[in-house]
Amino acid sequence: MPQIFSSRADRLLRMAMLAALAATLLASVVAFAHARFGGVWALGQPASQPIPFSHAVHAGGLGLDCRFCHAAVETGPQAGMPTAETCLACHTRVWNVTAQFAPLATALAQDTPVTWASTHRLPEHVRFHHGAHVQAGVTCQTCHGQVWEMPRTVKAEPLSMGWCIDCHRDPAPRQGPVEHVFTRDASSGPPPEPRFGLAAHPVLHQGVSVSALTNCSTCHR
Amino acid sequence: MSASVALAAAGCDGPEEHGHPLHARARGTEQEAASYASVLDLEGLGRGVLVRTRGGHAVKIEGNPQHPASLGATDIFAEAAVLSLHDPERSQRIRHDGAPQMPRQLNAALAAARDALPPDGAGLRLLTGPLASPTLARLIGEVLNLYPGARWHRCDPLADDAALDGSLAAFGRPVAVLPDLARARAVLCLGADPLGPGPAQLRQARDWSVARRNGRAAGALPHLFVAEASPSLTGARADRRIPLHPAEAESFARAVAATLGVPGLASSGSHAAAAGVAEALRSAGQAGLVLAGRGQSPAVHALAHAMNHTLGAAGTALRLTAPPMARPERMTASLAALVADMVAGQVTHLLILGSNPVQEAPAALGFADALRRVGVTLHAGLWFDETAQRCHWHVPLRHPLEAWGDSRAFDGTPAIRQPVTRPLVEVAYEEASLLSALLGTPLTARAAVTATWRDVWGEESFESRWAEALETGTAGGPAPAIAPPLDPGWDRPGRPPSTGLTAIFAPDPGLREDAQNAWLQEMPRPMTGIAWGNAALFDPQTAERLALSPGDEVELILDGRRVLAACWPTPGQAPGCVTLPLGGGRAAAGAVGSERGFDANLLRPADGAWLAGGLEVRPTGRRAALVATAPPHRPDGSGAVPRLRAGEELPPITPQASLHPSWPQPGRAWAMVIDVDACIGCNACAVACQAENNVPVVGPAELARGRGMHWLRIDRHDHPQAPAASFQPVPCMHCEKAPCEPVCPVNATVHDNEGLNVMVHARCIGTRTCSNNCPYKVRRFNWNDHRPSLDTARRNVEVPLRPRGVMEKCTYCSHRISAARSAAAVEGRALRDGEIETACQRACPTQAITFGDLNADDSAVAAQRRDGRSYALLEHLGTRPRTTYLAPVVPGDTT
Repeated sequence: MPQIFSSRADRLLRMAMLAALAATLLASVVAFAHARFGGVWALGQPASQPIPFSHAVHAGGLGLDCRFCHAAVETGPQAGMPTAETCLACHTRVWNVTAQFAPLATALAQDTPVTWASTHRLPEHVRFHHGAHVQAGVTCQTCHGQVWEMPRTVKAEPLSMGWCIDCHRDPAPRQGPVEHVFTRDASSGPPPEPRFGLAAHPVLHQGVSVSALTNCSTCHR
Repeated sequence: MSASVALAAAGCDGPEEHGHPLHARARGTEQEAASYASVLDLEGLGRGVLVRTRGGHAVKIEGNPQHPASLGATDIFAEAAVLSLHDPERSQRIRHDGAPQMPRQLNAALAAARDALPPDGAGLRLLTGPLASPTLARLIGEVLNLYPGARWHRCDPLADDAALDGSLAAFGRPVAVLPDLARARAVLCLGADPLGPGPAQLRQARDWSVARRNGRAAGALPHLFVAEASPSLTGARADRRIPLHPAEAESFARAVAATLGVPGLASSGSHAAAAGVAEALRSAGQAGLVLAGRGQSPAVHALAHAMNHTLGAAGTALRLTAPPMARPERMTASLAALVADMVAGQVTHLLILGSNPVQEAPAALGFADALRRVGVTLHAGLWFDETAQRCHWHVPLRHPLEAWGDSRAFDGTPAIRQPVTRPLVEVAYEEASLLSALLGTPLTARAAVTATWRDVWGEESFESRWAEALETGTAGGPAPAIAPPLDPGWDRPGRPPSTGLTAIFAPDPGLREDAQNAWLQEMPRPMTGIAWGNAALFDPQTAERLALSPGDEVELILDGRRVLAACWPTPGQAPGCVTLPLGGGRAAAGAVGSERGFDANLLRPADGAWLAGGLEVRPTGRRAALVATAPPHRPDGSGAVPRLRAGEELPPITPQASLHPSWPQPGRAWAMVIDVDACIGCNACAVACQAENNVPVVGPAELARGRGMHWLRIDRHDHPQAPAASFQPVPCMHCEKAPCEPVCPVNATVHDNEGLNVMVHARCIGTRTCSNNCPYKVRRFNWNDHRPSLDTARRNVEVPLRPRGVMEKCTYCSHRISAARSAAAVEGRALRDGEIETACQRACPTQAITFGDLNADDSAVAAQRRDGRSYALLEHLGTRPRTTYLAPVVPGDTT
């Protein structure tokens, strides 16, 4: 009985398998690198905003405190966005360029919300509490970068799970005194004592001290 | 493939979130979540609620602790109201003969209709549902003053006219009986269901549980006797349940009354159980109470009044007040008079406000046919329903959560209803503005309500009292107690009882007028386990005689009227009775509510009677499409629910040996204790869980295949001795040695350091091994992608939507835990015991669910764990569940 497959077919099969393996490996390497490439996380990409707002002018040039506009950042889960009233309180007097502020005027007249575009939105299955992080002494620029130098607001850090958990495993280097959270110089001084939050209860797991901050349920819902 | 690898490496998220809208309010302070006090009506009477809104949308209903008809709890109807609000099938357009119209066309038609009315308004009729709203009552009164020839009729298919007749016989005036179950020591329910669904359920269930808690502490439990034909929630928890054919009810009541020595009895009756019941009532004295319910004759209601009078219960176990309803009258007579006038051609203009008489009135009354003889008919309602389709004009109404209004609770406590969301239907009208338009002075509902209360409170104190009423959710106190003397000739024996197989019409325990509500449709009815439909409840002997098994189709014939229904043999049903639930078999209730079960209104006699003798049953030999999540009889053979006599204690829960390594639990240890003795099986917790956690609805076909998604199920266990049933809510047990965890190939279910068994949806690959290994069967699998139907403005954004192919389960409301923990950290304080309330705990009318930190010795949950009634489900498996139970206590000495 003759051979069904020639020796050439055998060689072809081996080469095809090898090529498939190489392609899989290459794809994995590319994917691995791609996931770590800033563009995937929209780093440095501004979003289209209704008003050409510049943090560089307001926070950098004028030196406004973050909390002037993001009023709920110390207490709430969301930092809060300024109301049209807040913006126009100043801008009816200074830099009163009507065309630019049309979305604010419309919002005020019709009592509808102003729709900004989020550059730091976390996925749905993640919860984040601004107030808890402020209380832990994490400065704004740790996550948001040097916003006061951004003419158009962009993402400075990937806010990926790996990036978050790096800090949650060992938060101390990125913590400072609570009163330094809103300052712009590198914070110095001891971090606040964790008394009531999750970090207050370190857990011994198989003899290793683990921070409760690395639980799935700490960030995921 | 590289794309999928890249997505896997990137965790499936990231770029697509970039640039999503971030809304900033125009003015005011940034307030993402807020809660408003309001009131929702059931059968015309209000229950106070707090409506949680998020970004301006109503997302969750919770009870208002300051309202006497809620006390912080909710029932299934209040919980589900938020789904009806967002129902995409709600009527969106003004219609004339079914065709969409503009508001100005309606206004022109209304103006023409008003001009066509004679000056005294003869021929004008108003038809509403039952209502206790002071403002609507005032406006209707003004309409009747302006048009003396006009009449106001009501369609209330669930009204108990016999109760009105009974109080007229006993006291010569309409009287509402408000039982105080917290103080009653012996209660006899003659067909009454104080723990069952109704406008006073939350209050009565709380009072009952308080009495039991006090009774357990004092070593003397109050007695609860229930004599009824069809099993009810009250009957399930009664110390003694007497299955009673309605024909025997009067005789039984007379026998009890005679033993109690009630004066003025026209005749005596006899029943074997009467002496024991009467003895318990007599020894309770002023703390004895007799309640008569729907389906009883006026004579039985009068007997109940007379027995309470003899016991001296008024002031202790009950309070008599004027009825909270506006202008009490015989509702069936009211509707019958309207139909008679319509047939006689005396009605030229008919305005139907928020009622659906074509569906809800007995078909034998012929309302739909009579409607054709009316010149101009206008229907205002939430849905384009059966009545709307037969009226000339239809106007969409605002949902109660969108409109101003007011209401009264069952005890007369008034409350203001405030809108909690922008109207979701642009053109929708408010009832008050339609009525005021009829008066020629169109007012907004807010103006009408403020005008009512400005009159009540006076100009000077109005502003402060108005603000206080909106803040607290009540606008005054309960109605004052009255003490009418018993009419000497109170006893007017009823007509002789009907013979043969008796049809008993009853409200469906899980449905009212909103059959369109998928949460209510899919929630298994507590006593039968039937969902997405209904069935005729037979007693097992009759079913056996007719060779019927559960789910067989039968033809029911009553006076020549016929309907096809499913048969459901129900243990505890009195022999010779067939219970027919009202509210099913709708023709025009949208995709959700249409054609679910059969319509008992097709059989109901024209006079709206609750009972009818001479029912014929013909098996068709076919099977009916019936979905039930439990068999008719579910005996507790495995002893899942241990039952104790007063004073007995169970052995303490001791940890079993385990192969899994033990791990230290410093910090907090979340745990839940559910008191089975307090659970009445009302399903409020399950609907609350569904609303809070974005739990999908799967529909009848999937539910029948066991693919229901409820995170919290309520198991009913039947017992041969009273109480006849125990209800055991089963959420995730959060086992310390969780069997689900080691079998997961991808580590998608893990423990956190506070003892929560966490489900990581993003990791789950859907092997379902965890569910197979779960001895409690509390894990639910997403067989389909339910996200499109859930991703609406109603969803709770705190809880993510789960994609197809992943497991999900109870989280102990971990988002509430996290929110409370963050809030406490921000305020720089420790978490307080009781600060975290799970959604099920918040809803429970009897406070049967406790949640807290087991490691804190002074916490409520730790104290309950130490209770002698504490037991764990399937304790011998060594799973060490964090959810444990308190065993029910059975009566010791009642015979």
